[in-house]
Amino acid sequence: MSDLDKAIAQLRACRPIPESQVRELCYKARELLIEEGNVVCVDAPVTICGDIHGQFHDLMELFRVGGDVPETCYLFMGDFVDRGFYSLESFLLLLCLKVRYPDRITLIRGNHESRQITTVYGFYDECLRKYGSANVWRYCCEVFDYLALGALIIGASTDMQPTDAPLVDPNSQAHVPSDATDLEIEILNSSGQIINRFQRQPRQSGNSQDLSQLSNPPSSPSQTQPDQTPTRSGAPGTSATSNSGGSASNSSGAVLCVHGGLSPLIDSIDKIRLLDRKQEVPHEGAMCDLLWSDPDEIEGWGLSPRGAGFLFGADIVKCFNQKNDLSLICRAHQLVMEGFKEMFDNTIVTVWSAPNYCYRCGNVAAILELGEDGSNAGYAPRTNGDVGRVGGPLAERGQDLRMGPGRRYRVFEAAPQDSRGMPAKKPVADYFL
Amino acid sequence: MAAIPNLNTLRIGRGGPRRRGGRGGIGSSSDGEPSERDSETARDRVVQQTDHDASSSRMSAIELDYLDDVYAKQLWTPNEKVPKRYPIINRGTYVRTKAIDKLVTLFLQAQPTQRKQIVSLGAGSDTRFFRFWVQGLLKDAGVTYHELDFEANVNQKRHSVRSSSVLSEHIKQAEKAGTSYNLHAIDLRDLTAKSPPPIPGLEPDLPTLILSECCLCYLPPDIASSVIQYFTMNMQSALAIAVYEPIRPFDAFGKTMVSNLASRGIHLQTLKRYSSLEAQRQRMRLAGLKTCQGARDVYELWESTAWVGDEERQRIEGLEWLDEIEEWQLLASHYCVAWGWTGDIFSEAWAALDGGQSTAESKHDDVTINSSTRRAFRDWLDPHGSSSLTISQETSNGIDKQLYMEQLRSSSRLLRISVNPSTRGIRTQNSRHALGYGATKPIP
Repeated sequence: MSDLDKAIAQLRACRPIPESQVRELCYKARELLIEEGNVVCVDAPVTICGDIHGQFHDLMELFRVGGDVPETCYLFMGDFVDRGFYSLESFLLLLCLKVRYPDRITLIRGNHESRQITTVYGFYDECLRKYGSANVWRYCCEVFDYLALGALIIGASTDMQPTDAPLVDPNSQAHVPSDATDLEIEILNSSGQIINRFQRQPRQSGNSQDLSQLSNPPSSPSQTQPDQTPTRSGAPGTSATSNSGGSASNSSGAVLCVHGGLSPLIDSIDKIRLLDRKQEVPHEGAMCDLLWSDPDEIEGWGLSPRGAGFLFGADIVKCFNQKNDLSLICRAHQLVMEGFKEMFDNTIVTVWSAPNYCYRCGNVAAILELGEDGSNAGYAPRTNGDVGRVGGPLAERGQDLRMGPGRRYRVFEAAPQDSRGMPAKKPVADYFL
Repeated sequence: MAAIPNLNTLRIGRGGPRRRGGRGGIGSSSDGEPSERDSETARDRVVQQTDHDASSSRMSAIELDYLDDVYAKQLWTPNEKVPKRYPIINRGTYVRTKAIDKLVTLFLQAQPTQRKQIVSLGAGSDTRFFRFWVQGLLKDAGVTYHELDFEANVNQKRHSVRSSSVLSEHIKQAEKAGTSYNLHAIDLRDLTAKSPPPIPGLEPDLPTLILSECCLCYLPPDIASSVIQYFTMNMQSALAIAVYEPIRPFDAFGKTMVSNLASRGIHLQTLKRYSSLEAQRQRMRLAGLKTCQGARDVYELWESTAWVGDEERQRIEGLEWLDEIEEWQLLASHYCVAWGWTGDIFSEAWAALDGGQSTAESKHDDVTINSSTRRAFRDWLDPHGSSSLTISQETSNGIDKQLYMEQLRSSSRLLRISVNPSTRGIRTQNSRHALGYGATKPIP
């Protein structure tokens, strides 16, 4: 067993590794991360995860529900640290896995992967408490500076292989499609049972521009009929516009993953690639926005109540997706009580992976699985940047949006209390008394 | 901070009723077995220690300039490190303090020549008297200021006040000006006894404002109403109550709150009865504060320019980078300030405050009508799962029964409680009260 495997085993048991090992690990991780671009390319199939926030035992639950590394390929969208009691163990374990299986796990930066925020929200104090010095915090912060800012998932299938699992609630048979063809969304619980399914809806003319829909968007697919997604599904660049059956490829457009959201300074993915990311998260500017912004029910851009980043509306997302040949933006950053939330005609989704956030909020968590498009023998066309784009002026496509990938959400709750083992030190008062 | 002992073990043991009337309602309960008494004492200690939480949060907010309060430090254990609270806790502490301050200030400013009285229940290490004295708000016609708390808390405060020359001096000055500051070591439950102890210096003829910041909520609901009733019955002049309490125990956040606090031995015993803003208003109405009632959750207070002005909001937002927007909304919507009054002086002071039912609130509280509510109602109605429900007709106070019955009536539509005439009037073992009517256990 290598030292790295030993470290992984130790961290899996929620025991910190010695400072010298942390230093070595962080050094190796930096060497690895420096080779990655600002936007990492990741092939489907992949499981996308949102905020973790040091909830180590819930991270273990996530791996139980989603499959272990390296069997499952993971993409974590940042905010590994702060708030929870085990930021250190959580982040170091993910980092170990990254060094051990670099192609099976991708880590991108969240707004909490920053010196300033970690001193306010707990990671700094935790390192100090566990090691007696800030060295480990410093090593980790140096790694933070090298984390990628986003990821581009390519080759995700528009089809979804249905799960052969029972329904959670057999009585809901009536409205859950039993016919498992042409599924777009499947929602499973932590035992793999089907909570709900949604079939792809044929596009109605002009619906992607339907503002009434935008003003009252679905907060999750369970609340409304999802999918006003256009059905254009031919291979990119062909004129095929029929539904997926019979088309040359089932590949959806690419999926952009980023912690927060968009920036008014970024209109193309290439612009993200041009940023100098190897620094502390600035207080403003494109890099800051990518990690801090939130989608909101507004038109255009708005000021963020967080004091950093911006709010952006459906028009911004649709325009960005269209321009960059994206079918979906996947982001984290905001607590959603149901674990995930699709907005703006399913063009953007928030994934939240910290159940019962801060051991207080009572929310469930989710991860998002995107399947692989096997129709072209696993070949996914790629170009430099706008993946899937095969020439042709944009005007020809009009306002068409790419068909979204099949999405399987696995929803899970906090790890049972007894497995957690309450921290030796009492947390601060979480309530007003 | 002294570690709060794990009191879960104490909650098991005797099968007797715990949540409601475990103490027999009144200090003179006959079942005085030592084990019961010990656990009772331990529970009280946990409640007493909640003041340390409150004062820690207060100190944290003061250190970061949320609040301007030089007196809190005088009451803080010397050399004890002030814990760092998260920004949302600091903001919540700010809103809570300012909202109650506003209600008190408006009262003090109404009819300036009228002498007034303030009674702060479970005041703990609260500094409002000193802050307001120095601001000149207690000077006009003189104010009789009472603070009631457990003996342990009062002794500690008395000691701190005596050993602080600043605080002692303020009290002396105030007394010269006709404003008195009274600390009473009194167990609020004793006020519900048949012949309650007098509160020295309490003047029944003065317009009186009762404050309860996270105090009555720790008492069993019937006791909490009886404490209020003590004042509604004894005070002869205008009377108002302002409470600050948690609400909305039935959604995901609320349930987690209840269980997290329970694991620390803290039981928010009135929470289910006064679970919404409207239930809080109703509580005020039924307590006899008939002129008007208002309630706002902390998130609404923060968002309202009437309570937090734009300039002040900008100042607060600039103090710390608050990343936890969603969590702030969750937390802040689970605490409320509620008030109600009877009498002209309070109308003059508070009539302009908007505390009526809002559309946002009804959306919020509609969420509570679901299966968990039904379960909660069932637990509430029938905490021990006894075979037939006991619905008291002769509860120690007639007032709360109305709310009780009203909630039952509205809940029975959900519960499909079937009234069983054959059990009418039958007394059950557990009940101190005659049955109004028996109901079969709802929800199979």
